[in-house]
Amino acid sequence: MNSGKLLRIAAHEANNSTEASLGEAFLLIQNQLKPPFPLTIPSPSEYSQLNRAIAFGVLTEPHLTKTHLTHLHAIVVDGYELFTSILVKLCNESFPKLLDSPKSQLLHVCSALVNVSALKIESLLISLLRQINGGDFTESNLWLSSELLKMLSDNWNWLLEESLVLTSALFVYLRLLSDHYRLAGSVKLEELKRMEIDFCVKVLRQCFHLCLQIGRDLVRLLQDLVYISEFKDLWKDLLSDPKKLGVAEFSDLSDIYRIRTPTHYFLLRIPPEMESQLRFLLTYVRWGNQRRYQAWFAKKHLCWPGSETVISDIVRFICCAHHPSNEIIQSNVISRWAVIGWLLKCCRRNHFEANVKLALFYDWLFFDDRVDSIMNIEPAMLLMVNSVPKYVDIAHMLLEFLFLLVDNYDVDRRVLLARGVTASCRLLLRKGVVHSMEPLTSCDLLSPLLREKLRSFLPGSELSDKNKIQEGEVSVASEGKRLVQC
Amino acid sequence: MENMVHLKDIVPAATNTVNTQFIVLEKGSITQDGKEMTCLALVADETASVHFQMWGSECEAFEPGDILRLSNGIFSFHKNSLVLRAGKKGNAEKVGEFTMLFVETPNMSEIRWARDPRNPKKFVQEAVLSPHSRIFAPSQ
Repeated sequence: MNSGKLLRIAAHEANNSTEASLGEAFLLIQNQLKPPFPLTIPSPSEYSQLNRAIAFGVLTEPHLTKTHLTHLHAIVVDGYELFTSILVKLCNESFPKLLDSPKSQLLHVCSALVNVSALKIESLLISLLRQINGGDFTESNLWLSSELLKMLSDNWNWLLEESLVLTSALFVYLRLLSDHYRLAGSVKLEELKRMEIDFCVKVLRQCFHLCLQIGRDLVRLLQDLVYISEFKDLWKDLLSDPKKLGVAEFSDLSDIYRIRTPTHYFLLRIPPEMESQLRFLLTYVRWGNQRRYQAWFAKKHLCWPGSETVISDIVRFICCAHHPSNEIIQSNVISRWAVIGWLLKCCRRNHFEANVKLALFYDWLFFDDRVDSIMNIEPAMLLMVNSVPKYVDIAHMLLEFLFLLVDNYDVDRRVLLARGVTASCRLLLRKGVVHSMEPLTSCDLLSPLLREKLRSFLPGSELSDKNKIQEGEVSVASEGKRLVQC
Repeated sequence: MENMVHLKDIVPAATNTVNTQFIVLEKGSITQDGKEMTCLALVADETASVHFQMWGSECEAFEPGDILRLSNGIFSFHKNSLVLRAGKKGNAEKVGEFTMLFVETPNMSEIRWARDPRNPKKFVQEAVLSPHSRIFAPSQ
């Protein structure tokens, strides 16, 4: 019996249009969905309807899975592109609302689509990976982590051909592992941790050349796992025997530091709904109006136990994957640095706060204006400069942390890190993001030691050289125009 | 939906004719009104805010940050206060969350209305009693 429902719709909630469109197609041609299947060739509109009907059927009738999939295989003429796109749309829009049975069917169908190398299957897998919530230890979330990982491991040979899925999965599971490992839990969680370790180590050991695509954030994630013995061994090789990883172009950790992490990876730890809320906040909400939005965001995404861990992912997303246009920067819309300042204040535990600060400064450490974007380093600078004098403790905390990073993040490559920070300051000044560092270097509320240290990173001649701002670059500067209103 | 109006354009009337969409900013406490629960909320769109009276199961279904679509709602006096509500003939449904802009001023429930001298069946704005809700403090 078909329950006829895909989604959990609460009382007083409007019907979902995607569910309605699939359900209508199913109801209309329900009698054609069982054998013998008609041999006539469907018109384009009939084909589209058939795809929607089969999608609804296979998701809501687990007992008829085989029939629906056989039907799908028989009619398909587009490499499954339409069918997969229907599932991607449903997953992106409504995965958290899917009822348990359709959710489990979706994974089953996804696996069947991997087997036939369906077009767009990589989008479906990436969409599913984004649905695993960071720091969420509920059964349904751990179930999803575990089912997806099984599917990927079972299709290893296919995965080797899909380097974007492979590296995306590595990125996601390395990140999840750092949270899962911290928690002692049920047998299921222990099993999951074991699978995650095995999968990540296998990918890193066997496909390190592909892992390099992730760039420098790979090191950031690996650093969090250094206390797991398998990763301790890997670190030993990364640091003292890089040739063991068998990639000609990798001879030192600095080779990874130099690769800027592509935007794609930062979206992987931000579920679609969270992404649309963050983008809305940073595109439309004006200064002074943000308080309610921030409270709603925190209530939805940051209030359950364990959720604090995603703040570092959000900060990476804001710095590296959400770059507002000049038009928005010049408008009255709330700035990225202010939202990050608020997120920093949402951290309750030191460990998570340190990770957030690292996320904020990470690109400073390796900055090279030939490959890096000024937009990635801009929020940290503006947050510091705009925090004085009213919120001087934030500027103090950030500067202290930055210097700590330069000295300790990678002692053997300290020179490279210091050069990165100097390059960051130089470009931010040259492009006029801040006109000078005076607000910090001459701020009596900051300790003389910190100010002295900051001066050592500044290129002397450019300390207060405002004339170098060129036309067209001024717009970036204006994000700094509003002082401390957050 | 047909005849969607902005909150700044709603006028007290004795009939259920308001079709609109807004975001819930704040909820008051749920109280018992005879047999049913009621709950007053501050809601707003890009043009104005207003007090919205929730009724029965609506009180627990809607939360701050929810975007609601009201069809055939009524804006009228209910126990001496001017509120927007679904009423018996109307319907309020959640259609989204978060992604809607709003202003808190003017608040349509904080306006004194008088009968239009040219058409006594209609109301016109007479005076602003308060630029924002006097029940729910503004957020800024």
